[in-house]
Amino acid sequence: MIIIGEKINGTIPAVKEAIEKRDAAFIADRAVKQTEAGADFIDVCASTAPEYEIETLKWLMEVVQDATDTPLCIDSPNPRVIEAVIKYANKPGMLNSISEEGEKCEVLLPLMEGNSWEVVGLTCDNNGIPTDLQTKLDITKSMVEKAAKYGINPDRMHIDPCVMALSTDNQSLLNFVAEIAAIKALYPTIHVTGAISNISFGLPVRALINKNAMAFAIQAGMDSAVMDPMNRDMMGTIFATEALLGHDKHCRKYSKAYRAGKIGAMPK
Amino acid sequence: MLNIADLGQFVIDGNEPGIIENVNLLVEAKADPIAIINEGLLSGMNVVGEKFKAGDMFVPEVLMAARAMNAGMDIVKPLIADKDMPSLGTIVIGTVKGDLHDIGKNLVVMMLESAGFKVIDLGIDAKVEQFVAAVKEHNADIVGMSAMLTTTMTYMQEVIKACQDEGLTVQYLVGGAPLSPAYSEKLGAIYAADASGAVDTAKALTA
Repeated sequence: MIIIGEKINGTIPAVKEAIEKRDAAFIADRAVKQTEAGADFIDVCASTAPEYEIETLKWLMEVVQDATDTPLCIDSPNPRVIEAVIKYANKPGMLNSISEEGEKCEVLLPLMEGNSWEVVGLTCDNNGIPTDLQTKLDITKSMVEKAAKYGINPDRMHIDPCVMALSTDNQSLLNFVAEIAAIKALYPTIHVTGAISNISFGLPVRALINKNAMAFAIQAGMDSAVMDPMNRDMMGTIFATEALLGHDKHCRKYSKAYRAGKIGAMPK
Repeated sequence: MLNIADLGQFVIDGNEPGIIENVNLLVEAKADPIAIINEGLLSGMNVVGEKFKAGDMFVPEVLMAARAMNAGMDIVKPLIADKDMPSLGTIVIGTVKGDLHDIGKNLVVMMLESAGFKVIDLGIDAKVEQFVAAVKEHNADIVGMSAMLTTTMTYMQEVIKACQDEGLTVQYLVGGAPLSPAYSEKLGAIYAADASGAVDTAKALTA
């Protein structure tokens, strides 16, 4: 499982405050803790007013890169912002994100030619998030074909089928697993990712819904996640599910994660 | 046969068949359709709103309750002249241009309608002209705007300016992930943090 750590995002009130105060220690601590917990990428999202977004992202990138070697996941709804800050990355990481909305593919994919940057691709377009499997597959195909023009193989793409809330759509998990399986069937080397916690919006004890949804999603083929790596219960669910599905030979990763204190009760 | 006041419990339980059966019985017995709405359907939905705010009811249950209430509304509406239809006020609402995220906005629409507001939903990606035209056509009291992106929330200012330029006397209710009370105040709008907050604020604005 590829973990994209989501804890440095300006929509989180404590992070917003740290950004406003330029509290580098607070941001650095979040970067280090996410790395220790197993993050493969550290997402940085400024979420400030547009006129400050570039300078804020640049600052976040510098702080995180001073604190850890974990690659960045540069996150902005505006592809022009990502284009402007990619030069501040010390090494290739991930771009978050393209979709068939606006000019996202046209701006971001050329930046990935001839290097090893990866990218998150959302299955939405100018009409929003489609509700049917076929449209999501069509959008995936279109993004993969556009990427191929720049020599970007599917194994550098993380498709997010945009899981919906169970509270407003009773079939949301069933649709999500069908989407994951269909995308994987079409492109076996592509990664399927997602922010699974969206599924529990509006329900009590969200953690229960989230963990069980994660297990189903992994079984369907999800192999990348935008999540909080410091959530020990969720990390435990991932390691356990991988072992149960036979993805973890001799359960070595599961056992190792326990010995390293990453899963189970907090080490004393 | 049950009393109008008993309808509320069917709404709270999300019992749509129960609502349909009993509203029809009440209508046959010549009960006042406006009383069915105010004392039956809306009073039940008020309880739902309170319980939702208190964390005793959850989104899927609120949706069921709203569906039951609307089934009752559909039966009595044709019996009431438009001008006699009880309404707390008219709200024109949409996610602003460039923004396609509408889960939150849809929940707000549902809660506002359930509370007794007339809601004109412009959907996603709503442009200045759509807001202005809808406010004029429906003589709206409030313009509701939602955004999930920092890049789209700035469009709210353009909508407000256009309404002011047209001399429209409306109030502005805004919400969405990137917004804050301070930013909203700067826009000349009132901020609501969630769906039940939006209902409370809309009630205060139209009181």
